[in-house]
Amino acid sequence: MKIEFTLNGSPAMVEAPAGISLLTLLREYLNLTGTKEGCAIGECGACTVLLDDRPVNACLVLAPQVGGRKVITIEGVRAPDGGPNDLQQAFIDYGAVQCGFCIPGMVLSGEALLAANHRPSRKEIRTALAGNLCRCTGYQQIVDAIQTTALRRREKG
Amino acid sequence: MPETKFVGKPATRVDALEKVLGTARYVDDYRLPGTLVARALRSTVPHARIRSIDPTPALKIPGVLAVITSEAFVNHGRFGYPVQDMFMLAYERVRYAGDALAAVAAETEEALRLGLAAIRLELEELPGVFDPRAALEPGSPSVGERPWDSPDLPRGNLLNHYVVRKGEAEGVLADCEVRLDEEYSTMHQEHAYLETEGALAVPWPGKNGVTVYANCQSPFLARGNIVQTLGLLQENVRVIQPPVGGAFGGKDDLMYQTVGQVAKLALLTGRPVKMSFSREESIIASYKRDAMQMHIQLGCDPDGTLRASRIHAVVDSGAYAAITPFTAWRSSIHAMGPYRYEACHVDVDVAYTNNGYSGAFRGFGNTEVCAGIEQAVDELACRLGMDPIEFRLHNCLRPGDATPHGQVLGEDVALADCLEQVRRISDWERKRSAIQAAQGQAILPGEIRRGLGAAAVFHGMSLGAEGADFAISTLAINADDSLTLTSGLTDYGTGSRTVFTLIAAETLGLQPERIRMLRPDTDTSFDSGPTVASRSTVMGGNATRVAAMRLDSLLTQAAADLFGCERMQIVRHDESYISPDEEALPFEQVVQHARSMGLTLSAQGRWDAPENYWSFEKGEGKPYFGYHFGAQVAEVQVDTGTGKVDVVGFWAAHDTGTVIFPQGVLGQLYGGITQGLGYALMERVDYDQGFIQATNFDEYLIPTSLDVPEIVGVFVEKPFTPGPYGAKNIGEPGMIPTAPAILNAIFQATGRRIRNLPANLERVLLGHDLRKEGSNMACKLGLQSKGG
Repeated sequence: MKIEFTLNGSPAMVEAPAGISLLTLLREYLNLTGTKEGCAIGECGACTVLLDDRPVNACLVLAPQVGGRKVITIEGVRAPDGGPNDLQQAFIDYGAVQCGFCIPGMVLSGEALLAANHRPSRKEIRTALAGNLCRCTGYQQIVDAIQTTALRRREKG
Repeated sequence: MPETKFVGKPATRVDALEKVLGTARYVDDYRLPGTLVARALRSTVPHARIRSIDPTPALKIPGVLAVITSEAFVNHGRFGYPVQDMFMLAYERVRYAGDALAAVAAETEEALRLGLAAIRLELEELPGVFDPRAALEPGSPSVGERPWDSPDLPRGNLLNHYVVRKGEAEGVLADCEVRLDEEYSTMHQEHAYLETEGALAVPWPGKNGVTVYANCQSPFLARGNIVQTLGLLQENVRVIQPPVGGAFGGKDDLMYQTVGQVAKLALLTGRPVKMSFSREESIIASYKRDAMQMHIQLGCDPDGTLRASRIHAVVDSGAYAAITPFTAWRSSIHAMGPYRYEACHVDVDVAYTNNGYSGAFRGFGNTEVCAGIEQAVDELACRLGMDPIEFRLHNCLRPGDATPHGQVLGEDVALADCLEQVRRISDWERKRSAIQAAQGQAILPGEIRRGLGAAAVFHGMSLGAEGADFAISTLAINADDSLTLTSGLTDYGTGSRTVFTLIAAETLGLQPERIRMLRPDTDTSFDSGPTVASRSTVMGGNATRVAAMRLDSLLTQAAADLFGCERMQIVRHDESYISPDEEALPFEQVVQHARSMGLTLSAQGRWDAPENYWSFEKGEGKPYFGYHFGAQVAEVQVDTGTGKVDVVGFWAAHDTGTVIFPQGVLGQLYGGITQGLGYALMERVDYDQGFIQATNFDEYLIPTSLDVPEIVGVFVEKPFTPGPYGAKNIGEPGMIPTAPAILNAIFQATGRRIRNLPANLERVLLGHDLRKEGSNMACKLGLQSKGG
């Protein structure tokens, strides 16, 4: 079937079977491999993308469900110059990245939180990340990066 | 320690940018035209004789291009180190539920699924053995036709036996006024790297060689196993390691089977072949941290002076040896903890069973014994009415002490400093006594109780007296004056590429941005032994420093030639070389002159670990050239109505020597503690009659961001003379004392000792499990494809 939606700000149209997940659509039909598969049952959050600005596990969304809607993947999170945006830069600066496999999902969960809450407490950040498993970092530097970005974005207004 | 420019200063991880942008290509992200999908057919029974495997019906399925069994390999694909007891695909016997029997390569996922289902399999089920102590009893079923390949090894299911001997432990124990005699156990633990196993093999034109991209820990071991089992020349096999999504010790042996399978399938079909594990396949097939049963006896004087320890541990190696002989040896060395004893006897037996199989996992045998001894020491302190940290300080190893192995320690022993620091930063004394004063003996129904617990660790660095221990790095100056750095040690998320880059930059006085550290590739870097056992910073760091010093020497020679002075007169400032007349020449100009002199602007650095020795018969020697020390404190809140334990505070002090990469060392510490928290409270690999029970993250729980408290870490930077810039290693030690610290905190909160890990709800609440043995035989072996 034909699936039409807005992908990272641009219109997208894909011919794909109806029974596949959004994760498969992104990775196998659109070659957007920044979205990762860690469990395929919606437990690990490695495949987190934004669907109409809300974080979802792409492995649990049927591809046709995104028809007419807005999807943001890690490939759509960039500074205007194409480099890392402020949150991604904070992940680098705070040492929040180790193996990196969970990081695209973490960045998107972080962006979703920061869009909804400009002044998140550390507890609120931890709650927002509770669906994104990380086996390397112990989460602390990821929380640091998101908290600092929130502060800097508030200062910038 | 002289002032440094890059070492110890905040730095940028060399591969962080591609990872935050999502452009890092992990092996499953490779897209090559014509790639076939492959998967192994895995056993759904734990123990069986293989009567026959007939691939013919599978080969008739349209789209199935190749099916292989052990027949496809030289000597049936027998491999393994240190014991050659595994095969690229099972031969004669199935030893665990999940053992790979055959592998199929197909055009499509659908053809692959049909092909796997069509393989005609005749298995004769055999009685299995699932308890390691029972496995060692006479008359127990033997695991495998020929479980061992060495005439030196004992018979039956006993794989290895290790001892440590100092004095007469039994006599001294009998003489002690205060004694402890308890049993402790730990469970298998799943590595749960977020990226599952994957490999892509690309055949060379003419099918005379193969390039393999694999997320294995050690590309050189992967190449060696392919060469051996496919009968290829070493020059015809290249293994490249793309970014690896976590390993923690878990991407060795199983990955070597996987690379052998894809390499063979690629050479048979002449097409690229990719294998990517689903989470279920990963958990079912992969090896785990070994489970251990420990009997610990300790004796001390009434003043709290430890005198004797006697420890007997049984290790469940499961179906294969893998690296367990090494982890079990490390267990024997660390089993008594970092304390002084008059007498110490340790016995560690390693048994084959039909429970999956065990291998390397962060801590490598020490995490298991530390959970035992650090609870035992705590129990003894509490029986004496002594403060547990004070008790440890009274007995802990200090500079110049002799360990129970007979090794006299040098000055680099900072355990007492770590214990004192962690006591201070956790506000231990005030909090412990406030809790004691506030909480009554009797627990009120549903009361929320608090507790603090401590644990200490010592951890031998690198491989120890288990094998040749060296690393090689290379550095070359390119035509554009950038530098290329290689190491045979791999960075699977640990940050070692950044550490090596910083060490090279510091030694050469160059900006780290000038240096490009390559990923491991068997064609461009040199074998440096396996990336295990917290080796990288010291071994690879020293090798990098040697390479950089040799390159620096060449450049100084060129600068001296240019200035017409002696080499000794040259001073370096930032990226410039300064003459005796204070004339400064930039790096580029010196390089240009070096080229005109015809100098070869590349260098190789090799570093060999200081000598160790161990007498396996006498149980004494010098097992490691140095030790990392550390101490941790956990604060818990226990809901006595449900048994739920929340870790609400955590403090750690570790003797890392000089810190090279500050964000990296903190990340290793936080991540290690988080894995230790999971090990203590929730991670539970159950083999029920050989069938693993939890096969994905809905049932195998690992800590989330809400399970982990804010961690406070401090580093005792006592420079370690043999280390690069005085650094020690950190990869494993952060995790090791975490579980016992939490268990000891639960004891202060509840008065209950949970001597069997993990301390889940029912064990904390009731002291035993609710689930009955054998109640769930279902193993979810419906191995689904990744992305299917």
